[in-house]
Amino acid sequence: MVLRTALISLLVAIGGYLAASWLTHDFRVWTEEGARRLEVALAPVPLPDVALQGTLLPAPTLAAAARGSVTIADFFYTRCQTVCLSLGSTFQQLQAQLQAEPARAGAAPLRLLSLSFDGAHDSAPVLQAYADKLGADADLWRFASVPDAVQQRALLERLGVVVIPDELGEFEHNAALLVFDTQGRMVRVFDLAEQELALNYARQLASKRS
Amino acid sequence: MNGHRGRKLIALLGDRRLAWLGLLLAAVLALPAARALLEASMWRHMVLQYPLWMLAGALLAGGLSAHARERLARWNASGISGLLLAGTVLAVLMIPRVLDLALVAPAVELAKCSALLTAGAALRLSWRQAGLVAQGFFLGNMLLMGAVVGQLYAQSPLRLCNAYLLGDQERLGQWLTAISTMVALLWLAQVFWWVARRDADTGRMAGPQAPQDAAARTGSSAPSPQSP
Repeated sequence: MVLRTALISLLVAIGGYLAASWLTHDFRVWTEEGARRLEVALAPVPLPDVALQGTLLPAPTLAAAARGSVTIADFFYTRCQTVCLSLGSTFQQLQAQLQAEPARAGAAPLRLLSLSFDGAHDSAPVLQAYADKLGADADLWRFASVPDAVQQRALLERLGVVVIPDELGEFEHNAALLVFDTQGRMVRVFDLAEQELALNYARQLASKRS
Repeated sequence: MNGHRGRKLIALLGDRRLAWLGLLLAAVLALPAARALLEASMWRHMVLQYPLWMLAGALLAGGLSAHARERLARWNASGISGLLLAGTVLAVLMIPRVLDLALVAPAVELAKCSALLTAGAALRLSWRQAGLVAQGFFLGNMLLMGAVVGQLYAQSPLRLCNAYLLGDQERLGQWLTAISTMVALLWLAQVFWWVARRDADTGRMAGPQAPQDAAARTGSSAPSPQSP
């Protein structure tokens, strides 16, 4: 009886260990956001071919628009009063750094892209007005949204963006800096506080273009 | 499970009838509407839905035949494997990623609910067999974990779950800490009551010792392991 109990206890302990190690990617992450970032770093996520509307877009779909340049992207919505404002200022700083240090010859161009998850409200004119308000350099920093609700949901799901309504009638989301490579894939997700790291990573990626 | 009154209530209703109640509870909890209601907020998800599934498991376990209980008990000396199972399930299910995954991955949700059901049943089948020492060890670990995780949830400036708001997470943390403290105090009170009753009994009998006191005596000499 004691032996059986020891055996079953051992099995329980092993089962618990395996479950926990699967959940935490070998005890490296504890949250879904951590897992998402790790998974993206391990395996790039191809951008879906969703139709876009927005400012000065080089192509009508996201995958095509991202191809050929390295992009630092974020999600936002124009009616936002909270996190998006700090995202805006992060992007203003990134833009200033990019303007101060133009891309080296042979490197892929580096662009900023703000993607709205409020496609129903954020039409091209609304986005243009917002871009003007933030002083966006039209060539460097683009704004876009997905007018089709189904496609928008598919995009958020593919990129692991979770948007939830908060108590103040606004939307909370896992805001981050997403880096897309020249082949139109999301290759890395950085924290908002890791702005320098994201920029350096993107520069590195752009200069590696063969 | 708490003392005489609980036992009386169980005897009044009958384990069989309570097992049907457990089945009903499990069925209700599995309804999409109940899931949506309980999982809409982080604190309800962990401190309401988790214990309800465990309660359903505990009630269901009461419906087991004496034969089945006996066969299970062979694998569960002094309730050790049962307590270990329940502890492991609770520890794993407190990883924040579980809450997010359970909302979007049906396989994880299914695994989570069946694990909680099993943990509840295991607790029911092991608690009394475990004796005060093992109970104290189990609670000491679990309640400390609950209080520590609760503090982490309450004080993290970052959202640990993508699907839930920061305020919700704080509330969950406070609930976890409060519940852990409450259960610790209740268990301590029960132990004191137990010891006082035993002392009174031995005082009255003065000499011939009652055999059922052996477990209580070892328990009372153990230090109270918790108080987060």
